[in-house]
Amino acid sequence: MPTLRELQRNVAHSLIAGDDAAAAMDVVADGLVPVARLAVYRNTVIASLTTALRLSYPTVHRLVGAAFFESAAQLFLAAQPPHGACLDDYDLAFAGFLADFAPAAAIPYLAGVARLDWAANRALHAPDTEGLDPARLAAVAAADEPHLRFVPHPSVELVRADHPVDAIWRAVLAQDDAAMAAIELDEGPVFLLVRRTTDGPMIARLAPAAWRFTASLCAGRTLEDAIATAGQVDTATLLAGHLIDGVFTDFAVDEGGGRQPREDLS
Amino acid sequence: MSFSTTAAPACGPIPARAGIGLRFPHHRAVAETRPAIAWLEVHTENYLGGGATPAWLDTIRRDYPISCHGVGLSLGTAEGLDRDHLARIGRAVERFAPALVSEHLSWSIAGGRYLADLLPLPMTEEALAVVCRNVNETQEFLRRRILVENPSSYLRYRHSTIPEWEFLAAVAARTGCGVLCDVNNIYVSAQNHGWDASAYLAALPSAAIGEIHLAGHAVRRLDNGAVLRIDDHGSRVAPTVWTLYAEALDRFGLVPTLIEWDTDIPPLATLLDEAHTAQALLDRCGRKAGHADAA
Repeated sequence: MPTLRELQRNVAHSLIAGDDAAAAMDVVADGLVPVARLAVYRNTVIASLTTALRLSYPTVHRLVGAAFFESAAQLFLAAQPPHGACLDDYDLAFAGFLADFAPAAAIPYLAGVARLDWAANRALHAPDTEGLDPARLAAVAAADEPHLRFVPHPSVELVRADHPVDAIWRAVLAQDDAAMAAIELDEGPVFLLVRRTTDGPMIARLAPAAWRFTASLCAGRTLEDAIATAGQVDTATLLAGHLIDGVFTDFAVDEGGGRQPREDLS
Repeated sequence: MSFSTTAAPACGPIPARAGIGLRFPHHRAVAETRPAIAWLEVHTENYLGGGATPAWLDTIRRDYPISCHGVGLSLGTAEGLDRDHLARIGRAVERFAPALVSEHLSWSIAGGRYLADLLPLPMTEEALAVVCRNVNETQEFLRRRILVENPSSYLRYRHSTIPEWEFLAAVAARTGCGVLCDVNNIYVSAQNHGWDASAYLAALPSAAIGEIHLAGHAVRRLDNGAVLRIDDHGSRVAPTVWTLYAEALDRFGLVPTLIEWDTDIPPLATLLDEAHTAQALLDRCGRKAGHADAA
């Protein structure tokens, strides 16, 4: 007689890896073979998780079609089953899986679209946090300003892609074939800022320097560092715009005053 | 965690009347048209994040008593509860101050892998101890009583020794939790395993019944000719389940009753119509009780 822990691991192995040998031994047949009974559960597990992925990746789903999406999702689920009932981090792993998925290589922009789908979905469901009140920054001494570090809103994500995935994303979701046909796939990389607004996820295209500046700040680097990373760009105006848009929720003055993130100083 | 700041339930306890499961497609219609329905239940896991989805519930809970029904806690997991997930449930309970909190007599996590389904437990003393430990931990963390729902199932294990109804009654007795009696699940499991549904109802502790669930199920004919009933929540409540529900009311008295529908979700009006049928049976039960009192 298996312990509960053994039985649950055997059933999990059956449902995820399709190997019923151990689990079937513990199941009563009673008019229907154990593998058929386990298959009922396997179908539900795969359908539930595939539906969760489809809701997180609506653009990918439309681009590749239901059959391709379902087979990719099943391979992904078998290779990397989720760890808990909260699927947010799990969803990100699917974008990584698609990037290395050989059958998807015919669509070179698919991985970028997947990344954007994930970022938009994350923006939709990220925790609620108040934006940073710009008045608080007014109290910071001028000498401390270079040493400011900002905390990004949980909905904020910086995405860089080799193709115009923002235009593809919009055209596909709007089912706008004319817009899709007008997209120049080789126009070069795009630099995107994704965040939640009251109207839902918003995707903004930034200039490369502005994106580097924003990405540096969101990664927790000091303002001084971020300015140095950005190069020729009006960082003061950019920062003011981000503050108005609620891109940041908090800040701290880096008392070490160093150029490295604080954890690197210890 | 302190619960002193918990928002007060806006609309009091769940009444012993018919309610419906609130799903995404009906957020706007419910918030804007405020249909005549006594209460609403949500799947807790759908409201753990931020943004527009939980904001709908913030609005709707001002007008309706709310029940939070969990599907991801895995009360039957041998390796113990996912404390991060329990903490997320705790924050949702704090935010929405539901009148009822419930989960399932099932498991979905093993070896650090989450299987997105409500899987059946072996009915053993070991599993009973595991479930009681996890229910106790949940109730202590949330600082409130929860209801635990009987599952629908498509398999049984060879080494089970306790009938499911006795197992559920023992969980309630040992932990003080209530029972969420899913009448459709009893019917589905009884049909699939050759149990006596009426005897199942009769074995449940009447005083612990805090809620009843009703839903539609599918009848699937398998390749070998065997018939399996599948609890897919994708249709109206079956006539045989309505009959069993009337029997449950006769036994348990007036209990808050929920219409669930999760697959091919119909217009709100269809759900309200199903709730109307449940309410008619509740009303009939109330009249019968009244006559009995008068006699």
